[in-house]
Amino acid sequence: MRLECVVNGEPRDVAGVRESESLLQVLRERMKLPGAKNACEQGECGSCSVFLDGKLVCSCLVLAGQAEGAEIVTIEGLADGDALSPLQEAFIETGAVQCGFCTPGFILAAHDLLQRQPSPSDAEIREALAGNLCRCTGYAKIIEAVRVAADRMTT
Amino acid sequence: MASARLGRVEDLALITGAGSFVADVRLPRMVEMAVLRSGVAHGRLARLDCAPALSLDGVLAAVGAGDLVGVSGFPDFIEAMRPIGTFPLAVDRVRYVGAPVAAVVAEDRFRAEDAIEAIEVEYEPLDAVASLERALADDAPRLYEDWPDNKAVDVTRRDPEVAAILASSRVIRASYRMHRQAPTPLETRGSVASFVAGRLTFWTSAQSPHIVRTTLATALGLPEHSIRVIVDSVGGSFGSKTHVYPEDVLVAWLAMRLGRPIRWIEDRAEHFMASVHARDQLHELEAAIDGDGRILALRAQITCDIGSGEVFPAGVASSFVTAGVLTGPYRIPHAEVGVTCVVTNKTPSGAYRGFGSPEAVFAMERLVERIARETGRDAIELRREMLLERDSLPYRLPSGSVVDSGSHRECFDRAVELGLDALRTARTERPSSGSTRLGVGFATYLEGVGASYFVTTGNWTSHEMCTIRVEPDGSVVASVGVTTTGQGVATMVATVVAEALGVSRDGVRVDMGDTDRCPYGIGGLGSRSTIVASGAIGLAASVIREKALAIGAHLLEAAAEDLELVDGRVRVRGGGAAVSLARIATLAWVRTLDLPDGVEPGLQATAVYDAPGIDHRPDVHGRMNACATYTNGSDAAVVEVDVETGRVEVLSYAVVHDCGRMINPPIVAGQIRGAVAQAIGGALYEEICHSPEGQPLATSFMGYLVPTSAEIPEIVVEHLVSPAPGTPLGVKGAGESGTIGPAAAIANAVSSALAGCGVDVTATPLSPSAVRRLIRESAMDCAPDACEIEGAQV
Repeated sequence: MRLECVVNGEPRDVAGVRESESLLQVLRERMKLPGAKNACEQGECGSCSVFLDGKLVCSCLVLAGQAEGAEIVTIEGLADGDALSPLQEAFIETGAVQCGFCTPGFILAAHDLLQRQPSPSDAEIREALAGNLCRCTGYAKIIEAVRVAADRMTT
Repeated sequence: MASARLGRVEDLALITGAGSFVADVRLPRMVEMAVLRSGVAHGRLARLDCAPALSLDGVLAAVGAGDLVGVSGFPDFIEAMRPIGTFPLAVDRVRYVGAPVAAVVAEDRFRAEDAIEAIEVEYEPLDAVASLERALADDAPRLYEDWPDNKAVDVTRRDPEVAAILASSRVIRASYRMHRQAPTPLETRGSVASFVAGRLTFWTSAQSPHIVRTTLATALGLPEHSIRVIVDSVGGSFGSKTHVYPEDVLVAWLAMRLGRPIRWIEDRAEHFMASVHARDQLHELEAAIDGDGRILALRAQITCDIGSGEVFPAGVASSFVTAGVLTGPYRIPHAEVGVTCVVTNKTPSGAYRGFGSPEAVFAMERLVERIARETGRDAIELRREMLLERDSLPYRLPSGSVVDSGSHRECFDRAVELGLDALRTARTERPSSGSTRLGVGFATYLEGVGASYFVTTGNWTSHEMCTIRVEPDGSVVASVGVTTTGQGVATMVATVVAEALGVSRDGVRVDMGDTDRCPYGIGGLGSRSTIVASGAIGLAASVIREKALAIGAHLLEAAAEDLELVDGRVRVRGGGAAVSLARIATLAWVRTLDLPDGVEPGLQATAVYDAPGIDHRPDVHGRMNACATYTNGSDAAVVEVDVETGRVEVLSYAVVHDCGRMINPPIVAGQIRGAVAQAIGGALYEEICHSPEGQPLATSFMGYLVPTSAEIPEIVVEHLVSPAPGTPLGVKGAGESGTIGPAAAIANAVSSALAGCGVDVTATPLSPSAVRRLIRESAMDCAPDACEIEGAQV
């Protein structure tokens, strides 16, 4: 099938997509956007998170056809040219990145939280990130990064 | 160090989603491999017919073991172990659910998976050996027909005095069991192979690219110079990717055979069945004690379930480590330790962060608590009386490990302060009430770091190499054999090189993870990278520094001994005339005509470092010092236990840690926090379990419960610094130590919380059902007012 959608602000038109393909597969294999990661294919780890019409989704659980006509934002679309987003900067500054495989998913989940709640409590941050697995950091620095970015974005 | 507060050199690519992981490799004409895996735990392979798969559209190859012409099995090098002779595909028997039976290559993964379904395979089922107890039973089926039993390893380090001391002393006996776990990094395994003009390029997710190369060369019969292994970003490993696996050989062989690039990326269900498991070890202990409860001698039998053993290397060495560090940071003069590794019909075991140490510390720290209870002593005081003090160092453990330095007593005392403070806070904020009980628990440990790899593999020992090149413009390239799987090793290397050459960290590029560009190395494992890389860097940098000073002396018309290399310049000491390193490097490579007499062109050096004092084989008494140096630490956990539901919540966790001098303290703290989180998962949530028939029951993140941000508490990390006397910068290792204390500290905390209920924790995990079982089986009443907090004079 043919899939038309807007990814990171650019109209995309992909032919030959199987009906059984996930949005994650289309992004990674057909659109050459490797930022969303394939780590469980069950929606359990959040590594494949993207925005689909403004809603945070696990792209491994979205069929490609469901993205028809949608606006998608991936980690590749978060920076403004060379200027990193406040969350990306905060992740680097606080030491929230170790292997980096889960990092795009965490940044997008945090982005989603800060859009809904610009000044979240630690409990709200933990709750919002509980759908994402990280095996390296123990989460403390990720939570700190979200806090730092939130402070910076609200002042 | 000046640059320690800078961010990591790795982060920009990772934060923006730039593709640098193996699954991101895309090559023209690339096709995909999928693997047919055994669905039975133990059986004879009665029939395998790949032809139906080959007839499907888009399928390029479908092969079984008999088709792998020219392929050799994995060699067996470990001297204390019976050989296994693992072949990449099942030859006539399958020994675990997930064992590779056939491989298919197709135009895409969908077709490859469909083709797997079309392969016809029949097994004659055999009785499965699904536990270590079953493996040791007299009537147990044998996994390997030519073995007399299921013991892959069965050795004892004797101490002739232990029997006499046990016979003449009070003896406390106990058994402790740590359950089966999985490292399970977020990035699964995967490989991409391309064979062009007689040369194999192999992208993979691994910790030891050169060991992958050597092993592939042997398995495929290729010269090593015809293989290039590339490891770019790795999405975590925790030991699991130190091994070479059957799929690595399959991907490479099929790429050579088909002349098409092939990719294989493990999915999560495959990962839980086909990537190594770990722990799963029983510790049977007998301690002879004096009148005050202090341990005079220890006899231990360590028995580990290593699964089928069909991986390179098989997972026996972590049990040797348990034997090596079992007596921990305590003055225990005598120990006799037996190690038995049994094969079972489960996924092969292998390396997992901590590698035998969490198991040892769980067993010993529970034993110390039991001794304290049975002798009416305070467990904290009993530990203090047995702990190594600074004036007793260096101290030779009964295993032969020479503890060169450390702050064992100081770390423990500080952890006790932190733990009791945290308990006071918890009592105020969440007092024990209704069905909840609070408890505090401690653990103290030492960890051998920078270990001999000979013990683990039967090859290689402990060296590492580095090449440093100052380019004509003064920019620096450092090529190293160590690797990174997310710890920030490139940042460490750049920092150490920058310090050693007096240049800025931004002026250093690090080459790692490429066998064409890097010197032959053992890789990044065993908490060794900082020790061995900094050793090699220091040696190479000193050669460069000397040469730069000689050229600088010529240009400045000064004596070399009056010069220093700082801030990217060679200058007269104390501030004076100076010449930039860039100009010196230009002379060395480009304006070679202007070099002083007797100075050869070029500004680069290669050095090899091997930490002194490491034994690679035991002596006649079975003793050896297998490590470069010893990290130490103490942990304190405060938990809340709900006696009705069995739920354990870790309210606070503190680590007081000593890994000698630190290159980058924030990275060290990050390593410790992450390791603690993993080990909290292991203590409470994560469990690889099997049915009695050997069927795995946890093959996804829905069954294998990796902790989330909702479970992991704030983890306090404090550092003490006891520089290693034998490493060039005084550094030790910090990659694994955080995993060592939590199972013990949490088990001690749960036991403390449930002290009034008469509960004795002897096994992990402390899942709700396990805790409820302990309470139910306890003879004592668990009414709210029956409980008190043990060992905490608050």
